[in-house]
Amino acid sequence: MNYPFWDIPRLGSGWVIGLIAIFHVMISQFAVGGGFYLPLAERKAQRMKDAKLRADWMDQLAKHSKFFLVLTAVFGTVSGVGIWFAIGLTHPEATSTLIHNFVFGWAMEWVFFLVELTTIAVYYYTWNRVDEKLHLKVGWVYAGASVATLVIINGILAFMLTPGDTWIGVAGTGHEASKFWNAFFNPTYWPSLLLRTCVCASLAGIWALITASRIDGEKHPELKTSKVQWSVKWLVPSFVAMPFLMMWYYAMVPASQKALLTLGIDTINSGTFSTVTRMALIIIVTSATIIGVAYFLAYRNPRDFNLAHAMAVLLLALMATGAGEYSREMLRKPYVIGRWMYSNGVRVPYVERINREGYLAHSQWVWKGAGSNGTASNYSRGEAIFRGECGSCHTLKGYRPLADMLAGRDRSNIQNFVMMLHENKPDSPYRKFMPPMTGTQQDVDDLTDFLNAQVNPVSTPGSKAVLTAQR
Amino acid sequence: MIAKTSSFYDWVYDWVDERLGVSDLAAFARKKTVPVHAQSFWYYWGGISLFLFVVQCFTGVLLLVYYRPGADSFESVRQITYVMHFGWLIRSAHSWSANLMMFSILVHMFSVYFMKAYRKPRELGWLSGMALLGIASVFGFSGYLLPMDELSYFATKVGLEIPVAIPFVGSAIANFLRGGPDVTEFTVQRFFALHVVVLPALFLPLLGFHLWLVQKHGNAMPPSEEAKPASERKTMPFMPNFLRKDIAMWLISLNVLALLASVFPWQLGKQYDALAPAPLGIHPEWYFMSPFEMLKMLGTVLPGAVGEIAGILLFTLGIALWILIPFYDSSRDSGRRGRNAHCFGLVAVILLLATTAIGYWTVR
Repeated sequence: MNYPFWDIPRLGSGWVIGLIAIFHVMISQFAVGGGFYLPLAERKAQRMKDAKLRADWMDQLAKHSKFFLVLTAVFGTVSGVGIWFAIGLTHPEATSTLIHNFVFGWAMEWVFFLVELTTIAVYYYTWNRVDEKLHLKVGWVYAGASVATLVIINGILAFMLTPGDTWIGVAGTGHEASKFWNAFFNPTYWPSLLLRTCVCASLAGIWALITASRIDGEKHPELKTSKVQWSVKWLVPSFVAMPFLMMWYYAMVPASQKALLTLGIDTINSGTFSTVTRMALIIIVTSATIIGVAYFLAYRNPRDFNLAHAMAVLLLALMATGAGEYSREMLRKPYVIGRWMYSNGVRVPYVERINREGYLAHSQWVWKGAGSNGTASNYSRGEAIFRGECGSCHTLKGYRPLADMLAGRDRSNIQNFVMMLHENKPDSPYRKFMPPMTGTQQDVDDLTDFLNAQVNPVSTPGSKAVLTAQR
Repeated sequence: MIAKTSSFYDWVYDWVDERLGVSDLAAFARKKTVPVHAQSFWYYWGGISLFLFVVQCFTGVLLLVYYRPGADSFESVRQITYVMHFGWLIRSAHSWSANLMMFSILVHMFSVYFMKAYRKPRELGWLSGMALLGIASVFGFSGYLLPMDELSYFATKVGLEIPVAIPFVGSAIANFLRGGPDVTEFTVQRFFALHVVVLPALFLPLLGFHLWLVQKHGNAMPPSEEAKPASERKTMPFMPNFLRKDIAMWLISLNVLALLASVFPWQLGKQYDALAPAPLGIHPEWYFMSPFEMLKMLGTVLPGAVGEIAGILLFTLGIALWILIPFYDSSRDSGRRGRNAHCFGLVAVILLLATTAIGYWTVR
């Protein structure tokens, strides 16, 4: 509440992070997997006895590394910075908590980024210009640096789902950073790291199939066959290990979050409550298809493997990655940082205080002007509460639209609903997914007024008094 | 050990071959080729339709396990959607694949039409295909009612009022379909029998016939390919190359289906209430939207019973012309007739798209 609320109509601020993040993950995990693909492929080529095939491989690898450089160093980095912008604006409280806790982690990650960016540029521009062994070494330095970035960021991402008891014990005391390593190596750290490593290897193979698919199979049959088949092999670790790693990850997820995953097995009731299950299904179907298509179309029939096939595999990988990241985010509900901060930025131990003092008591970001003497009106207070408490996940009209979800209810009905979220009783079905509505009775009434004005516009004439931010 | 295993397989193969003649089939499959050209993409749509039909059968049988027609129908679909494990998924997959199947059949039909694959000797392939499309749309219409929620009830009610316009026998036909003057649980019972017994009994043998014809005559080449000398035409073997690509297409369809069924699970509305007023915006499924809109438009031009009768007559005439096209444009030497058929096809596509768009526009 120390920050202004960023309102993205229709799309919702969550999707701003989501869209950038899914795009970024597709590239950044390729940057890690591809970091190993390049030196391993180069080493393989160096050991080839057939001089022509060797030269062809090197030539093709140089082209692939150009593609790799452009994709990772331009689109990967730009989207990475984009994530910082997006999370800072949409989740300032959570971003602040993470920075306070992991500032040295990120500092290390940025050092590795610099090494990554430098070495990949050197790697590309020194093809055939330096000694082969030295060139390969540059490739290995890149691989080491890129895997280090994964090792670090994984700790932070896994922390958000499972911060661990030790960190929760010191949370809010000002000594959180003293438990850096406990927070970093949290319960889901290892299964998550290995899962992501498998995904990185798969993405390295899948992106390599894009460049390999463009080799003319009639002119260079041997090159295309060997390149396509070798790239498909990068999917094998995922194929073998993924099911076990998924089970391990699942075992480490807290019971309350597991319940979200099983909720959707028998129902589609209330839409979002069962999305995690449905997204998990998509991961399974798309992953299985990738394996099938990669084996039958690429491995068994490498010469006919064309760009359209490769793009289809990439699209499936995008769907699987998107569904994976979406489920990981959804699995955290109702928290953004497990057991510590609700998805709307309210810290769990602060709920009582907010209920006593009011949600906007410490906020500098309430619109004034609609009431007499420049005081905040019920409506503008209600809108501020809506943006703060609901806006992280809902829009008015668009994604998870409250105007539609509450349609058909009158004011007292809407109030009952808000009250139910406010009371957050142990048996409330919404408790599993949604944070409590925090604040005083006045806040409940103001939010109700605002929502009622959206759902039943006629019933509150003249309510559209203030919509623009005025401080 | 290896020799032993292979001799065991040989023995099994020989045993089966002697009784079923598998090797003849394999030899046939090896010889079969598929033309390769710029329009080859359209060859996959028949296969996609077939795949989606298989999905329909599979999910349909699973739904049969819990579905109870008659007075209990809404309650049983409610249980499938909200109580049974993965019941919602099976139902969603069934509904989505039905829609996707209608879409792919339509794409298949138009691609066959514009490639002129209905010409001699493929007339029966075209006719059987049209019959399959007709049965598929009755499948769609009858299946739509089965959940007996508000939307399906009122949409069926509106749909069953269309045959009433047929002179003399209209009401009798409508009453026969409804099992009385109104849509009731008896209608569901009838539609259920139609959906799971009568229609499959008609569809399956016809589908077998259609597929047999495809095997017999092979894939037709579009006129642009036929014009080329034989030496310039490219082909690929059906086994394994085309089949492999076919399977890839099925896998892609399966993924599209899984995505739609999971992200947009098929919803169930409120239980129908015959006494309640029809909810706003009642309209038929998208594949019936075009005929519905055309009848509606004609009704405005020629109000009253005359308009309805004229609409039905005109519509029947259009469909009859469409079905009989192989006998009008019968061979590659058709010349002017071939061009006319092509124009007729374009008019049909434009009319279909335009009336569907207008239909959705005016429903809102």
